[in-house]
Amino acid sequence: MTPVLEVNSMSKTFGEQVVLNQVSLKVEAGEIRALVGQNGCGKSTLIKILSGFHVPDEGGSASVDGEPLHLGVTGSGVARGLRFVHQDLGLVGSLSTVENIALSKGYNVNRLGMIRWQHETHLAQQSLSELGYDIDVRAPVSSLTISERTAVAIARAVAETSSKPRVLILDEPTANLSAVEAQKLFALIRSIAKSGMAVIFVSHHFDEVFGLADSVSVLRDGNLVATVALADLDEKRLISLVVGRDLDERALSNGPEVERDLVLDVTDLQGPRVRSVTLKVHAGEIVGVAGITGSGREAIAGLLFGAGDRSGIVAVGGTTLPPGRPDISMSCGVGLVPAERQTNAGFAAFTLTENITVTNPQRNVRRGILRKRQEAADVKVWLDKLDVRPPAPTVPLQNLSGGNQQKVILARWLREDPKVLLLDEPTQGVDVGAKADIHSLIEQVAEQGKAVLVCSSDHEELVRLCHRVLILRDGVVSAVLQAPHFNSDEITALTIGTGSSNGMPRTSNM
Amino acid sequence: MTTQNSVSSPTDANKARRRLNFGFDRFSGLYVFALLVIVFALWIPNLFLSVNTARSTLAQEAITAIIALGLLIPIAAGVFDLSVAGSVSVGAAVALWFQTNGFPWPLGVIGALVVGVLIGALNGVVIVNLKVDSFIATLGMSSILVAMSYWATDGKQVVAGIQPGFIAFGQFKVLTFPLSFFYMLILAAILYFILEYRPAGRRLYAVGGNPIATRLAGVRTGRVIRGSLISSAVIASFAGTLLAAQLGNATPDMGAPYLLPAFSAVFLGATQIRPGRVNVLGTLVAILLLATGVKGLQLLGAPTYIPYLFNGLALIVAVALAVRPTRKTKG
Repeated sequence: MTPVLEVNSMSKTFGEQVVLNQVSLKVEAGEIRALVGQNGCGKSTLIKILSGFHVPDEGGSASVDGEPLHLGVTGSGVARGLRFVHQDLGLVGSLSTVENIALSKGYNVNRLGMIRWQHETHLAQQSLSELGYDIDVRAPVSSLTISERTAVAIARAVAETSSKPRVLILDEPTANLSAVEAQKLFALIRSIAKSGMAVIFVSHHFDEVFGLADSVSVLRDGNLVATVALADLDEKRLISLVVGRDLDERALSNGPEVERDLVLDVTDLQGPRVRSVTLKVHAGEIVGVAGITGSGREAIAGLLFGAGDRSGIVAVGGTTLPPGRPDISMSCGVGLVPAERQTNAGFAAFTLTENITVTNPQRNVRRGILRKRQEAADVKVWLDKLDVRPPAPTVPLQNLSGGNQQKVILARWLREDPKVLLLDEPTQGVDVGAKADIHSLIEQVAEQGKAVLVCSSDHEELVRLCHRVLILRDGVVSAVLQAPHFNSDEITALTIGTGSSNGMPRTSNM
Repeated sequence: MTTQNSVSSPTDANKARRRLNFGFDRFSGLYVFALLVIVFALWIPNLFLSVNTARSTLAQEAITAIIALGLLIPIAAGVFDLSVAGSVSVGAAVALWFQTNGFPWPLGVIGALVVGVLIGALNGVVIVNLKVDSFIATLGMSSILVAMSYWATDGKQVVAGIQPGFIAFGQFKVLTFPLSFFYMLILAAILYFILEYRPAGRRLYAVGGNPIATRLAGVRTGRVIRGSLISSAVIASFAGTLLAAQLGNATPDMGAPYLLPAFSAVFLGATQIRPGRVNVLGTLVAILLLATGVKGLQLLGAPTYIPYLFNGLALIVAVALAVRPTRKTKG
């Protein structure tokens, strides 16, 4: 029997970097295959090659039902029957379910060229009820729950277009779902597999992998490490496949607590994605927060700073910060270097001076006038201190490399001399040299007695910097690791494990 | 990573193009202005090169310039204020309503300014607190203001009961220039100082540049936006009182013809002096340029539609030329 999807020795290099190395896969009809691996292992690259977004290196091939794909041509995968549901679902919120489904398959029209709305509505209704969902298909998609939206995206994916759907590829479909909704989605995926399609399913949640998939393919550093039937596997073994070696089952002790001033004291923090987080950061301490995307890691720093709605108590040096007021957080001595510099921190077309002094332009005002020469000198000091290149106050931020831009944002806050520095993905999109610079800067800042919180998906970074790392899972702190008793593999294992029977002792008193 | 590499190496063709571009750089408006003056001076020397021409142009354009300068403030903060024309009409109507009801004229001017503050504050509440898009919010507000100006003027031209002091306030001349021209200069100077040399100016541009980043830098963006809308409304209603004083009357919706020229001046101005950013000097250059072109064409006896055509083409061509270099650098 020929497999539905066959991928042969697929490779992809970006510049010098090999992100996918001779990967071969076969997926049978009716099979649910999980695709797992750490961030950057090549999963997304593989999917993007199949969808035609990336052109693979010479020598790779892929086929559906024995028919070869035209690799590197957008839409060729779809023409052969591949169907993709991406993590963001790709729906248009203001359009109805009927309209969203028709976006890819087109409308039926009558002889006058008018859309046959009744027919379309009926079809949409039918395809969703086949998936077990009874929703108003005429309501805008934005009014649906996330699981309903996922169902709409899947219904759209499996709708007949010019080609018959053969392989459904889901990229982290459960990232935004609650456990109950995820179960409903699994039932749906199983029924799709049963109808004879092959399903490939990317996930970081191992409980989902075990609960849903028939087999699993593990990618590590661009190599296909193993394809195993899940019946032959336990979670511990899977984690070591993902991470690349067996884990020490070392006790994770709390270690002796050094007597230091408590600076940042957070009790029962709640907000989007964060169910309840309590944490303390002392003066001179660097505390890390790890967790997969969706665990709340990506939300914590912003919530503490007051960027969004939150509940719980956030206190700095004994003063309670009101929610929703970044300005008050700032005046109480908190600084935030947010993730996604372009959107959340940088003013691309503005000068380095304007980027750095935006928090406090008042400082260089004398007798009511902003003294520009004094301001430039003030900024120059920080550019030199952080080794920003070029150290030119009047250059627009967009002319700098990512690493130097990030240093400018750090300079903005170091200039404020905060008591608490919140860093969200501090070295995202930063080259290796600048990354080392930023790391030593963060250490210097802590040595000066500031409390530093680093939220990062880069686990090496957390090991390098942190005295203590909190593991977030599903919006709560599931484990606390104390330096020097951890390494990045352990952090990875704790962030993706199911939280049961993996032999990992953990503390949860923080 | 790969994309960064491809961006950072400008090709030779790119460099050559940038060299050609310098003529349309930050002072291009002044070059074009000089060119227009020379062309018209050679063509119609008797008509164009007279003090009267300069004077009447300045008098006409001072009001537009004041409105444009006010409008520049919310645009710098990234919000539209389409209600400035309405504020002009209401300002004029309120100033005259006080006088026809027997109050001294300075009270009318103050009343107009107070109404301006209220209009701006209301715009701020709708945009910042109710989170209505500024374009829609001020579009709605401008219609409400037209209604108000009809109500305050009773739908007719108001000419009766206007006090001589008020007329003098609008028509008084210093060194043969109308007073409104000096008000415009004073406003421009103050605004230039605030935008360039006060923290408020930095915050204003920051909000316009990236509101999320500005908020996360500890700036109260809502307050900046509210302040900008109050400023534009107050300045517009002041322009309305000046207009009423200059003309010696008020008609309902008299601000309407000023809306598009004011917007054009601000956007055309954003290509000048400090390209990519709305700014005071650029706005003034834009007004000078447009006014000179239109005046010259009028004196040439061009048909009435020509000035409109000139304004529209100038705006589109100037902005299209100005966005070219930035597109290049994005690559």
